[in-house]
Amino acid sequence: MMPIWTKSGEKRAVTLLKVQDCHVLRYVSKEESGGKTAKLLVGGKNVSPFSKPESAHEIFKEAGVPPKQKVTTFNVTNDAIIKPGTPLYAAHFRPGQFVDVTAKTIGKGFQGVMKRWGFKGQPASHGQTKTHRRPGAISTNKAAKVYRGKKMPGKMGNIYRTSFGLKVWRINTKHDIIYVNGSVPGHTNCLVKVRDSKLPTYKDCNKNPPFPTFFADGDEELPEDLFDEEIFQFTDPSVTFA
Amino acid sequence: RVSSDGKPPKFQPPPKPVIIDRKTQKEETRFLSPEFIPPRGRTDPLKYFMERKDMIQRRKVFNIPEFYVGSILAVTTAEPCASDKSKRFVGICIQRGGKGLGATFVLRNVIEDQGVEICYELYSPRIQAIEVLKLEKRLDENLQYLRDALPEYSTFDVNMKPVPRAAHEEIPVNKLQVRMKPKPWSKRWERPKYNIKGIKFELPEHKMKAAQKWSQPWLEFDMLREYDTSKIEEKIRKELSEELEK
Repeated sequence: MMPIWTKSGEKRAVTLLKVQDCHVLRYVSKEESGGKTAKLLVGGKNVSPFSKPESAHEIFKEAGVPPKQKVTTFNVTNDAIIKPGTPLYAAHFRPGQFVDVTAKTIGKGFQGVMKRWGFKGQPASHGQTKTHRRPGAISTNKAAKVYRGKKMPGKMGNIYRTSFGLKVWRINTKHDIIYVNGSVPGHTNCLVKVRDSKLPTYKDCNKNPPFPTFFADGDEELPEDLFDEEIFQFTDPSVTFA
Repeated sequence: RVSSDGKPPKFQPPPKPVIIDRKTQKEETRFLSPEFIPPRGRTDPLKYFMERKDMIQRRKVFNIPEFYVGSILAVTTAEPCASDKSKRFVGICIQRGGKGLGATFVLRNVIEDQGVEICYELYSPRIQAIEVLKLEKRLDENLQYLRDALPEYSTFDVNMKPVPRAAHEEIPVNKLQVRMKPKPWSKRWERPKYNIKGIKFELPEHKMKAAQKWSQPWLEFDMLREYDTSKIEEKIRKELSEELEK
């Protein structure tokens, strides 16, 4: 994570996300998958073939791509289908866009109720016998049972969570890095899934995104760094308030 | 000398004098700002590379001078609420923290009997000028004990003139031992954990001895805490000098 400054001198924190060897692996049509839209399987970071079982090698061989550590599905409309084997780059996103980021949260192991659910616990003194971090009562008398989903101690973290509506401030096309506002679930160097935001406020914010994706062998020549309008670029002189 | 074959010995010219140029030797250990050195961790070095690119870009446009903890600086920042839209603050640098673009430094001064500490970000675009009025080092890396010292040690004239300094001179170390206000202090500065050399402790002997109870003499031999930055520093210095020349 890194600080960036806006043109008015305010500081924002950004997370750097690297797009490392992403390729489209397979196209699954709407009828085949049984869902509402067609799906595209996309693979992430390259990994040695010995870490994957032989059965998993098929998809990668079909697409003609080295084995990937993570394979995810993206729901796609019929006009956005991409041929399997095309590489995906950071330039697929543009600054000013809003994005949802999904990743597995940091695993905290078996945790008690105070850390896991934020319960208040009991006082440290004034006669408390062996009860300082316990949940207390778990149900009422009339219910005569414990409801399903009762907040209790258990394994915390290591589950998929999404941060919604994160603004993309900057894209580096040379190293394929996306600068995304705020924090993102997961530990450093973990694998992350970035999608266009589904929030209704950002439905019409994408003005001319590269559709279906940014093709490196196309005619478009992009500069090394793409900045948002509000970002303070370090080539400018210091900010002054008129 | 014993002559060979009876002939006089061949004339050996005296060895040429080796001239050690002090100036070039000093340039080899040039100052590298501490926020360039990446901390020890599992982050991808590419992240530090991208940060350094931005830092170099900012340094090309805006001059960030060399300074240490204990030097007196004057910083002008842009303020939206001030009448002149800018604010100048003079103070002694107490500590330098943070790595990369988020590097900060804290300036302390006593204005109208009120101690004021302001934490500035080195790479913030609101900073319009940083001048070093007096470049010097102190005996410690962290001068937070000035909060508990007598106020005369933290007062600096706001209209101070910059002290001239010859180029390529060694940075003077101010071996000032500061006198403290009576205890209680904000932190127990006599304890070996802070390792402060710049205070003149006027505490009784038995209190100084009692403070040594908290010493951890095994810490300096702990090999897992070692972080050798010499090779990293060399690479970064090379990178910096290449980029700044462009």
